[in-house]
Amino acid sequence: MADKEATVYIIDMGRSMGERRHGRPMTDLEWAMQYVWDRITATVATGRKTATVGVVGLRTDGTINDLEEENFSNISVLFGLGQVLMPDIRRLREIIKPSNTNRGDAISSIVIAVQMILEYTKKNKYKRKIVLVTNGTSVMNDDGIEDIIAKMKEVNIELVVIGADFDDAEYGVKEEDKDSQKAENETLLRSLTEDCEGVYGTLEQAVSELDIPRIKVTKSMPSFKGNLMLGNPEEYDTAITIPVERYFRTYVAKPISASSFVPRSGTEPGSQAPSKGNGEGDALTSVRTSRTYQITDESAPGGKVDVERDDLAKGYEYGRTAVPIEQTDENVATLQTFAGMGLIGFVRKDQYDRYMHMSNTNIIIPQRANDNASLAMSSLIHALYELESYAVARLVTKESKPPMLVLLAPSVEADYECLIEVQLPFAEDVRSYRFPPLDKIITVSGKVVTEHRNLPSAALKDAMSDYVDSMDFVTTNDEGEPTDGLPIDESFSPLLHRIESAVRYRAVHPNDPVLDPSERLTEFAHPSEEMVKNSKSHLEKLMSTADVKKVPPKTKGRKRQRETEKPLSGLDIDALLSLEPKRTKISTENAIPEFKQTLSRAESIDAIHDAVQQMAKIIETQITHSLGHSNYDRVIEGLGTMREELVDYEEPVVYNDFVRQLKGKMLREELGGDRRELWWFVRKGKLGLIGKSEVDSSMVEDEEAQEFLAAN
Amino acid sequence: MAEDSYTREEENYEDEELDETSFKSVKDAVLFAIDISSSMLTPRPSPDPKKHGDESPTSAALKCAYHLMQQRIISNPHDMIGVLLYGTQSSKFYDENEEDRGDLSYPHCYLYTDLDVPSAQEVKQLRSLASPADADDDVRQVLEPSKEPVSMANMLFCANQIFTSKAPNFSSRRLFVVTDNDNPHADNKGMRSAATVRARDLYDLGVNIELFPISQPSHEFDTSKFYDDIIYKTSPSDGDAPAYLQPDTNISTAKGDGLSLLNSLLSSINSRSVPRRSLFSNVPLEIGPDFKISVNGYLLLKKQEPARSCFVWQGGETAQIAKGVTTLMSDDTGQEIEKTDIRKAYKFGGEQVSFTIEEQQALRSFGDPVIRIIGFKPLSALPFWANVKHPSFIYPSEEDYIGSTRVFSAFQQKLLDSEKLALVWFIPRKNASPVLAAMIAGAEKIDENGVQKIPPGMWIIPLPFADDVRQNPESTVHRAGDALTDAMRDVIRQLQLPKGLYEPSKYPNPSLQWHYRILQAIALDEDHPESPDDKTVPKYRQVHKRAGDYILKWADELKLQASEMFGGSAATSTLVKRGAKTEAADDHPAKRVKVEDNTSGVEAEVKKCYEKGTVSKLTVVVLKEFLHSHGRATAGKKADLVERVEQYFEKKF
Repeated sequence: MADKEATVYIIDMGRSMGERRHGRPMTDLEWAMQYVWDRITATVATGRKTATVGVVGLRTDGTINDLEEENFSNISVLFGLGQVLMPDIRRLREIIKPSNTNRGDAISSIVIAVQMILEYTKKNKYKRKIVLVTNGTSVMNDDGIEDIIAKMKEVNIELVVIGADFDDAEYGVKEEDKDSQKAENETLLRSLTEDCEGVYGTLEQAVSELDIPRIKVTKSMPSFKGNLMLGNPEEYDTAITIPVERYFRTYVAKPISASSFVPRSGTEPGSQAPSKGNGEGDALTSVRTSRTYQITDESAPGGKVDVERDDLAKGYEYGRTAVPIEQTDENVATLQTFAGMGLIGFVRKDQYDRYMHMSNTNIIIPQRANDNASLAMSSLIHALYELESYAVARLVTKESKPPMLVLLAPSVEADYECLIEVQLPFAEDVRSYRFPPLDKIITVSGKVVTEHRNLPSAALKDAMSDYVDSMDFVTTNDEGEPTDGLPIDESFSPLLHRIESAVRYRAVHPNDPVLDPSERLTEFAHPSEEMVKNSKSHLEKLMSTADVKKVPPKTKGRKRQRETEKPLSGLDIDALLSLEPKRTKISTENAIPEFKQTLSRAESIDAIHDAVQQMAKIIETQITHSLGHSNYDRVIEGLGTMREELVDYEEPVVYNDFVRQLKGKMLREELGGDRRELWWFVRKGKLGLIGKSEVDSSMVEDEEAQEFLAAN
Repeated sequence: MAEDSYTREEENYEDEELDETSFKSVKDAVLFAIDISSSMLTPRPSPDPKKHGDESPTSAALKCAYHLMQQRIISNPHDMIGVLLYGTQSSKFYDENEEDRGDLSYPHCYLYTDLDVPSAQEVKQLRSLASPADADDDVRQVLEPSKEPVSMANMLFCANQIFTSKAPNFSSRRLFVVTDNDNPHADNKGMRSAATVRARDLYDLGVNIELFPISQPSHEFDTSKFYDDIIYKTSPSDGDAPAYLQPDTNISTAKGDGLSLLNSLLSSINSRSVPRRSLFSNVPLEIGPDFKISVNGYLLLKKQEPARSCFVWQGGETAQIAKGVTTLMSDDTGQEIEKTDIRKAYKFGGEQVSFTIEEQQALRSFGDPVIRIIGFKPLSALPFWANVKHPSFIYPSEEDYIGSTRVFSAFQQKLLDSEKLALVWFIPRKNASPVLAAMIAGAEKIDENGVQKIPPGMWIIPLPFADDVRQNPESTVHRAGDALTDAMRDVIRQLQLPKGLYEPSKYPNPSLQWHYRILQAIALDEDHPESPDDKTVPKYRQVHKRAGDYILKWADELKLQASEMFGGSAATSTLVKRGAKTEAADDHPAKRVKVEDNTSGVEAEVKKCYEKGTVSKLTVVVLKEFLHSHGRATAGKKADLVERVEQYFEKKF
């Protein structure tokens, strides 16, 4: 569990905070609130009740605090320590506005914050923190400051002071013509934070660093505690058993997930006025699900009947056979296994292909407080390291869990030793898709060709080599020296952080549009400008040598390439086909091939029309004779083939006429009854009108084509 | 109402393979057409009499079909498979009656297994045909060859009709022809040209014919005699298929013994067991600003999981799967709602922060799909640990950019030669979240039968973001002395896997295989197999024989170094179980804190109690410790623990 937190934000709301300075478009207060809201919403986002926040206004018109003394006037407790919820955010947003006074002592406000924290946290374990944000323009009173420092140190309160236009040599901010009062205040606040070992910074830096994503540190729990074994200790006296523990090394952090809601009944989605200060939260209601079960029953209307959950047994599919499994032997199909990590053998590092990594990675360390295990592991790690080898092991994390095959690699750092573990593929995990070689072409006759339009010339290879060599990605360490690592520590999950910050931003600014991702998140979306500049000449050379041509979108997908329509031997089948006496009419059983062949032989538009007519008739008959959905797949295939071919032959009109008629007939139930389900398949397959963007000669605008499919 | 699969689809969105291009359903149907002739039925004796290898080409083909059927039940549970025998004396095609001879549409074609998702019965039938020795006469009769030759045109049209009616609108339909006859209509030109026309029909229908030729003992299979007129370069439905792949040359030379014939046929069929489906297609690979080529992405490595359990209804004649239907209702009124009404909102500060659908999409969008190179690093820069999931494989496509293949080839060869990786910004598809990835070149790998094992291309390995990297937990390091490390090196050297490499094909997933073997046994009402054939269990005897002595030497060294480092007490515990002699020395009750460190003490104690029948007298801590060290579950009440301990000993002795 994360520590409990108590943080009090002191926000300077004095009149001077309402001014715009140094050409900034926003007031000091607005500027400061960027920082404050970011911090507060980050805490709210955790959803933790124990992450408490308090808000104190400094230099407010009125006075709201428990210390009823003159010194503490114009300081208001705006929100007592506690969990911040959305209504609180809305309320605070309303009341945090510049006041009409510049009176109010910053040091006194710190005293109030200390008081608040002491009362709230008592002696319990808390992370205590006070954040003061001010432009430091009004008088401060340093009476009794030693006591305050002592108290804060005693109860362990961290003090953070962030100031608008405060000088910060390290960050490089220096305000010209600084007011002497402000300079004095800065000195006071700086020495105060230094004395209680707090943080003192300038607002410019604080705001600029807001877009550095904050990484949530997750404490790992062991996912396996057990024995690493070489040999079988149950059977042989020569088996090694080392107690080990396994932890995540990498684990993908998922963005926060959205839940489903619908507008609460009675509130029309459109009519809901964007009422200020009132979030949309209460207009939504959550979505419930209910499950029913259906089986196929040809005799029932619609072919389906509902069955009760209680009448069903658990089971699995074996092919198309349903295999019920009785409750009593529920585990019969589970392989019996026992926890443990058994070494299978060792492989050479140079014989392993890195792309075989199948999963996230884990680390294996010796059992804690087990010196022998630690010593034994160390010998294994170093032996693997010296031999440049990896171990292959069978890992079962818990009794009855399926075994995994894992690869174990040694990791030796100055003060840390462990094995890194990753899952390997099983035989079933490897799909053998085959692809032709890239460095040669083998012709049908078995001849090996090394010069071909699909193979790079020597010049292209050289140009590629030069370009690749000119594009080294440079990473540096903290000292700015080049390293050979990858920029993993500097790369942040774009989606995760974008959604998180969008949610927080929306919470405070409900009426603003969503923001673009911050530059940090897309830092690696493009090569750096400097690299592009340095490699420019090589890229130009490469591009001219490569001579790559973009395929115009119009001709894409056209398969009117005659040579692919011949068998390997190159025999002219079309000639044979035209000799076939039977093939004057398209037959129902061989409709698709004969339709295509008829089109390819067609010498006149009329012939095409005729083929389409025949095909249309076949399709309509198939629909009419379809029992339920029995013929639908064939209909869709026929329709799809027609559409594809007629797009290729640039004859959209015939198809469009046909599909218009077909839709009418189907929806008027003229083709054997209710065919709405089929129409749904037509929509799903996007088999509607051929629009202008597909074929120029179409008279149908794209909008019309869309509407045609959308309307029922 | 939403189908059950809806949520699942969303979960797997990132990995889903898709065919955006067409109206077809992404399914595969494979129909085996196996030639039944006397030469196909003649067993090919094995030169080694001890080996059981008297395999005829027919039985090898049937075994392959059976093997593929079983495999596809696991890997592609929704794809279809069928077996058509041709050249048989008897004929069978759907409802046609054997007796109405003369009226048969497809004489000498015997549809043994109809094209469909196989049922358990069909698996069993095919198995009995594949090993006719165990089969009854009826089954063997099927394999009687016909006296007159079968018309190839007829066979091909028969296949056409099977595909047309049983697998309409499938994105992939394939006819696997297994034959040793390279010239079926040598002396009949008419029959021959009829066959070529029917082959063209199949091509136009989108059916791919794949030939698995078998050479006869007397001569090599020559595709130019007949089959080059039958087979086309690519199927029109498989637009992204690259140039035609050679039939595997070695298979036709496998004319020797039956076993090698079977193996090469298996390996060749395996390599085409699944149709290639792309993960993403025609994504630009941006090598530099304004310099793009197009590539397709594939999943060559993907964890195969057993299908989820489902609900079975047994009220009818045959058991059937009940389909779950989810209805969405609004919580306040209970009214059914449409999916389009749903808005997504995030919980924040006790309320929901909501976005419109457009905003939600905008938030997820980081631009169009792209693989953009942002620089290069040496391969060695990629740490072993920097991995989060399986890789994607990419291969060039000429569809968007002519010349992609040659540029990709130059690029792949350059990265291979100079051992570099490319850092890429990778958005595989529209609205997918971008990742930073390492792209590495992979060389082509060929197996011993000359069949491609790993294709040439490039692999995209997604890297972890800083958010995904966990901190190492604390751990004490006791650096082993050189002598101890050396002793371990001797052990490792003894136990290298063959050729020092990991070969996935040698390790089927034991729990997956067991799961489906049991299901098969239940479905066919057969006895359950006794024990699994688990290839992942280490070879203990070999470890003992080859490395036993070295392990003991290492154990001695460990003891020595431990006593030097940690003093006398630690030295008494050992990580290597010794014979009774050493065990006796450990046989004193362990102190509470040390219990983890001294398993052999617990071991002996529990064993003694078991022998005396007093296991229940042991404390829960000791019982748990014992069970844990033997990889057993430690959950439950004390009685459960006692029972588990007793089970352990009962099994052992």
